[in-house]
Amino acid sequence: MAFQSPSPQPSIFKKKAHGSTPNSTPALSLSSSATSSSSETVLDDLGLDYDNGLSYPRVPPTSEQVFTTVHSEFGHCANEKYRYTSQHRAGTQYKSYPEQDPPYYILLTTYLSYLMVICLGHLRDFVGKRLQPSHYRHLVSQHGYAALNSDFDSFYTRRLKTRIDDCFSHPVTGVPGRTMVLLDRYSPDYNVTMVPSGTRTRGLNISSYNYLGFAQARGGCADAVETSINRYGVSACGSRLEGATLDLHQQAEALVARFVGMEDALISSMGFATNSTIIPALVGKGSLVISDEFNHASIRFGVRISGANVRTFKHNDMPSLEALLREVISQGQPKTHRPWKKILVIVEGLFSMEGTLANLPVIMELKKKYKFNLFVDEAHSIGALGPHGRGVADYFGVNPRQIDILMGTFTKSFGAAGGYIAGSKALIDRLRVHGHSGCYAEAMTPPVLTQVIASTASIMGISSAPEKSSSLSLTARSDAINPELEMEAYPGRAPLSILPAWMPITPSMADGTDGKMRLRRLGFNARYLNRGLRKLGFITYGHDDSPVVPLLLFNPGKMAVFSRLMRTRQVPIIVVVVAYPATPLVTSRVRFCLSASHTKEDVDLVLTACDEIGDLLDLKQGSGERWSLQEITDRAVELVGMPELV
Amino acid sequence: MSASVSSLEPLFTFVSNSYSNIETSFFKIPGSAVIARYVKSSHRDDPGRTLLEVILIIFAIRTLLQSRTKAEPSGKHFIEFSEKEIDELVDEWTPEELAQPLTAVEQSDLNAVPVIAGPVGPKPKLTNGKTVLNLASYNFAGLAGNAEIKERCIDILKKYGLGSCGPPGFYGTQDVHIQLEQDIADFLGTEAAIIYSQAFSTISSVIPAFCKRGDVIVADRGVNFAIQKGLQISRCTIRWYDHSDMASLEKVLESVEKERRKKKMPLTRRFIVTEGIFDHDGAMSDLPKLVELKLKYKYRLILDESVSFGSVGRTGRGLTELYNVPASQVDMLVGSMANGLTSAGGFCAGSHTVVKHQRINAPSVVFSAALPALLAAAASEGINIMRNTPSILSMLQENVRAVRAILDKVDCIAIPSHPASAIIHINVRSSSTVMPIAPMSPTSPISPASPMSPLSPSTAKLSNPVSVRQRGAPHFDMEAEERLLQEVVEDTLAQGVMVTRAKRLHGQEMIEVRPSIRLAISAAMSRKDCEKAANVLKASCIKVLSKRR
Repeated sequence: MAFQSPSPQPSIFKKKAHGSTPNSTPALSLSSSATSSSSETVLDDLGLDYDNGLSYPRVPPTSEQVFTTVHSEFGHCANEKYRYTSQHRAGTQYKSYPEQDPPYYILLTTYLSYLMVICLGHLRDFVGKRLQPSHYRHLVSQHGYAALNSDFDSFYTRRLKTRIDDCFSHPVTGVPGRTMVLLDRYSPDYNVTMVPSGTRTRGLNISSYNYLGFAQARGGCADAVETSINRYGVSACGSRLEGATLDLHQQAEALVARFVGMEDALISSMGFATNSTIIPALVGKGSLVISDEFNHASIRFGVRISGANVRTFKHNDMPSLEALLREVISQGQPKTHRPWKKILVIVEGLFSMEGTLANLPVIMELKKKYKFNLFVDEAHSIGALGPHGRGVADYFGVNPRQIDILMGTFTKSFGAAGGYIAGSKALIDRLRVHGHSGCYAEAMTPPVLTQVIASTASIMGISSAPEKSSSLSLTARSDAINPELEMEAYPGRAPLSILPAWMPITPSMADGTDGKMRLRRLGFNARYLNRGLRKLGFITYGHDDSPVVPLLLFNPGKMAVFSRLMRTRQVPIIVVVVAYPATPLVTSRVRFCLSASHTKEDVDLVLTACDEIGDLLDLKQGSGERWSLQEITDRAVELVGMPELV
Repeated sequence: MSASVSSLEPLFTFVSNSYSNIETSFFKIPGSAVIARYVKSSHRDDPGRTLLEVILIIFAIRTLLQSRTKAEPSGKHFIEFSEKEIDELVDEWTPEELAQPLTAVEQSDLNAVPVIAGPVGPKPKLTNGKTVLNLASYNFAGLAGNAEIKERCIDILKKYGLGSCGPPGFYGTQDVHIQLEQDIADFLGTEAAIIYSQAFSTISSVIPAFCKRGDVIVADRGVNFAIQKGLQISRCTIRWYDHSDMASLEKVLESVEKERRKKKMPLTRRFIVTEGIFDHDGAMSDLPKLVELKLKYKYRLILDESVSFGSVGRTGRGLTELYNVPASQVDMLVGSMANGLTSAGGFCAGSHTVVKHQRINAPSVVFSAALPALLAAAASEGINIMRNTPSILSMLQENVRAVRAILDKVDCIAIPSHPASAIIHINVRSSSTVMPIAPMSPTSPISPASPMSPLSPSTAKLSNPVSVRQRGAPHFDMEAEERLLQEVVEDTLAQGVMVTRAKRLHGQEMIEVRPSIRLAISAAMSRKDCEKAANVLKASCIKVLSKRR
């Protein structure tokens, strides 16, 4: 399917934007980085000249407002009203917004459409095998080789997924920030092959895991990474225990441990591998893992390798967890009935497909009573939740030290790659030696480490005024941690002494205003879209404060239409649609990932688009009070501020 | 009697009312008349069938309602407890510590890991302020710190930022990734390639993407840990052949075929899984023979070139270039961009079908974020440099020869590695067994495959292919050898040469690997420095190892 990019119209606004912001701002600039002047905060390197507010703000910044970011990467938003601190209100019980069921005819048509597509697929296979055997050659045994992937195994992919393949694996270019540039493609043969058409489309990006908007090519973090590449090169050349431990690793680990409020942390070069290589070092034969049914594939991979027994409980259902705990503790190991050596409960802080939060307060109660160990995977929640961005523990006000293991990734909020495990010193040292990655996997590379350090420091703020020390000593700064700073209570600021001395630090990073602004903007955006969609009448899952917003589509056919309609709007919107097997069969959904880089206008845009497409596709099946689109956008601040949605 | 009937009257009317209600609402549903007619006639024709169908419906409902997560509560091992008993059992239960603290030896080993301050290269500076010669880092082609790569990375950083912020399926695929995949495929001469974001997770994801329960894998006994994990998770039937022993492989292949014929099993997918240069000991596979056997017995070959890619061959294309075997003969060629190209991540090259299949079936592609753009660009640039400067690899081979020339003459150590291998493993030579090391010229790789490994003596009897353990494998004192080698490592470091013990996970490897010191030779080092470093190592070995006698 080929898409026409919106025709470039002569932009009156562009001239205005340039005209209204003469180089009058540098006097007010607080930043030492080179991106302070307003003329540089808009980016036009791709020659895309749009009048739609993607590259240039709709409301031009006044000369008092200084933006150190590029609008297409990180939206300009100076209105202090559009801020919200994501926090669980003490004394209230955690409850997710009730999951609503669609009317029966929707369920029926969903099943029917699957049935129809499956029948059609089998019919096509039946006819195709007889008329065009050459197309099926790789799917059947031949020359004494069994088929690499038999026609039966690959049926779902070939006959169902291929139909909507234009919604997946779309190649992109540039920064996956507030906007993203799609490399347009078309398919001459019904999605079997995709041919790049050579054109590009810039769209509003509401699908990348860029919660805090650190995916930026300009700004403090990028400057730090550039310095680091010049200084360290690109690779650490080996595994951590075989001579590829850099001072940067130690600095990053010390900082991350401090950030999440744990004694020590271990960094691994890939998020998936953090789980799949660490869990086997924690549990083994004779241990039991209790896992939420919607836990991520990496957790399941790790548990399977570990050889431990696994039981799952219903997603986020605490009575089911307790019943299971009572059963397994009283029954002991299967057959032998010996007591379990360890029981490790693994939950995710924020479930990436559901938008629900782990019910941490109740789990902590259960933990006290049943003495199990707790592993919280904060891949999506770290940085994205809590008043200080410290994830789900921060959100609920739970002391992180009461949780045994905190795991998280840097791919999402930090705009980097890889993951970490944090816990007690003894535990982490054990994982350093006994985890698979220490011996065998490549160490995290210096540019990624620098991004981790810079973005974490930016969220935390830095505790003493940055002063350029004259001696650029290369000795490990982590050895020189000031004991007084070490005692600073969680959630504290990052001590300057554990940051690399050569790292450039912008003032907004140092005083923590940058991080705070990002957290509060994300908090507002998440709550606004969640509640806005509900007020429009959509069925969405998850918690109000979750930056992951799944909007239920149900019918598989609507996924493709929704995605295509969003992409071909006047202002293209880039969305992710997911279906079985990532979700249960009937609950196909579109998943929005909000970011601090979105402005209120961006969320308005998404709401408008959803409103129109929702009417077209008959998606507004939710119950509860409805507001008109106009009312929602006008009363956004009030909507976000409401303690509970009725 | 009549009194009781009259008292039950309201109940009867309620029942009949609700029955008629249900009936009318049932007939409101479109198509219900057909169902009713069908049920009526079926009951009339065969009342037994009605009963059967009712039971069937009840069974279906029960199956649907049954909790999926509940394991066998009705199973014969389930014991019923009262709530009070459960409470007592819960109180009684005391779990083990989640993590036992490290032993003193492990802790001191961990503390002894050197920390590099600043860039990694042939002469890095450690945090203690010392500058050392580096024989530990994987920097075969000397690309670490290359100015062109740095420049390219900064360019990419300014266009793409750092992270890709999404898995490849959801807008994580950037044009630099597509370019890198193309570059790798072109470089090796395969149809296509796919990149993974960590080298270690590559093969452990490639294997389960293709090999399912019931398939047969024939694997080398000496395969690395990542492959072991991939084999474990694939749940295939696994048969083992002796390390680097092609005769043993052939016997195992024959026995598998015989077994299949005997049991009349259907044709399943069959794979040979092995490494190019083995991570465990530096031995090299005899690729032409492997390909010959795989074609003869109709197996697919999964070859892990994590060590050999970027370190052997005229331009670093790996074993396929060294042996002049077309890369298309290897069905799944897995390599490491972290080792071979001093960037990060891994790749799998093969046909279009093989690559396309992985894009939606390999767990660490589907569920993991894509490689950061600048690291992909660094790998592309690395390929570019290697392609255009063949002198890098000849320099590397010269350095390898220089180091081997010195170390091969040392009595107290044994080197199981292939003479052309850029990683060199050093074992303690045990006084009892004398290992035959076939003289082999690295420049003529087509020489007959001699079992390089000390672990494969020419035993007449075949080891059991079902067990990973080899018949008659030599015994060694793990702890003592490890301690000695660690002493050598520390002594060498004190004299300004950084080497490392090959770190292994004891108890987690399928068979314990003999302790060794692992050298990684780099083209970036001058020949003189290589000789100097090797001499220092030689002196340490002699000093430490002769002391024990």
